[in-house]
Amino acid sequence: MRGRAGRSLSDRPGKAGSSEARPILYLSEVDVRKYSFLWMLFPALLLYTVFIAYPFFSSLGLSFYDWPGIGPKKFIGLSNYKNILSGFMAPEFYRALGHNIVFFIWSLILSVVPGLFFAFLLSADIKGTKFLKVIYFFPNTLAIVVVGFLWGLLLNPQWGLVNQLFRVLGLGFLAKPWLGNTSTALPTIIFVTAWRGLGFYILVYLAAILGIDREMTEAARIDGATEMQIAGRIILPHLLPIIATTSMLKFIWTFNIFDIVYAMEGTQGGPAGSTDVLGTLFYRIAFGGLGSSQVGMGLGATVVTLIFLLVFPVSIFYVFIVEKRVERGE
Amino acid sequence: MMFKLNGLQKAIAWIFLALLAFVNLYPIGIMILSSFKSTREIFLKPFNLPAVWRWSNYVSAWQRADFATYFKNSILVTAASIAAILLVSSMAAYVIARFDFKFKRGIYLFLLAGLALPTRLAIIPIFLIMRSLHLLDKLSGLVIVYAAGGIAFSVFLLVNFFKKLPRDIEDSAKIDGAGPFRIYWQIDLPLLKPALVTVAMFNFIDVWNDFFFPLILLSSRVKKTIPLGLQAFFGEYTIEWDVLFAALNISVLPILIIFLILSKQFIAGMTEGALK
Repeated sequence: MRGRAGRSLSDRPGKAGSSEARPILYLSEVDVRKYSFLWMLFPALLLYTVFIAYPFFSSLGLSFYDWPGIGPKKFIGLSNYKNILSGFMAPEFYRALGHNIVFFIWSLILSVVPGLFFAFLLSADIKGTKFLKVIYFFPNTLAIVVVGFLWGLLLNPQWGLVNQLFRVLGLGFLAKPWLGNTSTALPTIIFVTAWRGLGFYILVYLAAILGIDREMTEAARIDGATEMQIAGRIILPHLLPIIATTSMLKFIWTFNIFDIVYAMEGTQGGPAGSTDVLGTLFYRIAFGGLGSSQVGMGLGATVVTLIFLLVFPVSIFYVFIVEKRVERGE
Repeated sequence: MMFKLNGLQKAIAWIFLALLAFVNLYPIGIMILSSFKSTREIFLKPFNLPAVWRWSNYVSAWQRADFATYFKNSILVTAASIAAILLVSSMAAYVIARFDFKFKRGIYLFLLAGLALPTRLAIIPIFLIMRSLHLLDKLSGLVIVYAAGGIAFSVFLLVNFFKKLPRDIEDSAKIDGAGPFRIYWQIDLPLLKPALVTVAMFNFIDVWNDFFFPLILLSSRVKKTIPLGLQAFFGEYTIEWDVLFAALNISVLPILIIFLILSKQFIAGMTEGALK
């Protein structure tokens, strides 16, 4: 390694050095000047540490206190956890958690199944599908609150377009208050979320399909495989890793759900709490909101810590996989 | 092209593809058309084209919702956040991709952990930090949060791009005595432009559309960004659907224009990020 320091870099041939995987400047001696590049790392590291990393751990600390956000903090040990997991907050907490899980499972199904289906169609030899990609992706660029407000108007029981459409089509029995009924509100919100997100999954899966080595499918075709067999036995197995990573991300972001419920059903997750998710529950606890009985930063931090415990293992696993994949240069 | 379909299969495929395009576009089309109607027309003739194209709905929504202020705030916050993210992330990515030093891998993994953790989970301490820094209800506070929150993903993407850059020019600059910052600034950044555009687009969508952080960190009307302002507007004018639809369209217009111009890069960038 010594010989590589500083000036001898020039005798490394440019591209031929690619067998060394990564171009790296090797520094051999402790020399302040040589480490002067490190300052360029600090702004990012500082911002990230102070405003992202530290707050994550700080939440954990807060969760042992009773604190309305101002005044002295009162240490109460694990009382917040008890209150949430088995005390007075438990019914609301488990109901919200359940809604998050339902949300995750259904939005996973609604992204993977149609996502793969349309990605397969788009990867076939059909002409003129380029502009479809743009159309499919567009809802993704809309703010979630915009999507929520738009569909809120469309789903208005009396004047909304959806029910008027059902009536015109002779499907009057489907003209229901979709967002006002405890049994249909959550599925409706899941559908609206899927409406916004599907295009993204289609394009991700499509890109993965188009990245598969063409020779493999050609060889299979010469060997007499049908298109269905190619799709099921060659392409689908190749897509499993990307399906796995997108599913992991979906699981993680499921706990981010807030905007769409807020825009369509309000902070209470109405009607009668049937769309209340951890995001809205947490918001009410920590930051008030209409009709909240208590504002507790400690209690809110406890909810966050519990979510964190659910999400963190998946996050670490995801980052591990991603890093490995990049290391291998895929 | 991965599959070969015969004529009938192609026709069926087209039906499905067209159906999805319809499902995607119809609500947006209704949103646009309704914004030119009167509320009465929206209620009674939802499927018709506007009898008269009422541009006045837009004037009315723009003035009543104080959109001028929201636009100014959103543009300021988004531009400042993206500039900050691009600068600090590209510097950090340069160091990580080009140099070797102790704890490098640890630092990189530490940053990467932010890739898969929703920043929202840290909101209580973020709120408290901003309060003690007197940055609550300040656009600059919001910018700091977005800049910090965008770092993990941006560094990750940029490190990968940096590794693909040829090093020949850099090496010769090194012989000419250029320091690390000059090499980064004068040689690498121009080569990195496509990657920077991708990173900027990602963060643009995130920041421009964000509702959660403004909701928590901002309170006064004059500080509101577009999504937050839209929420206030919807709370005030629940039955005037003509202006509500117009307001929705106003809030969507900037992103629609940018998306139509850059749709290719958008799609390539978004899917590339997800495939990683």
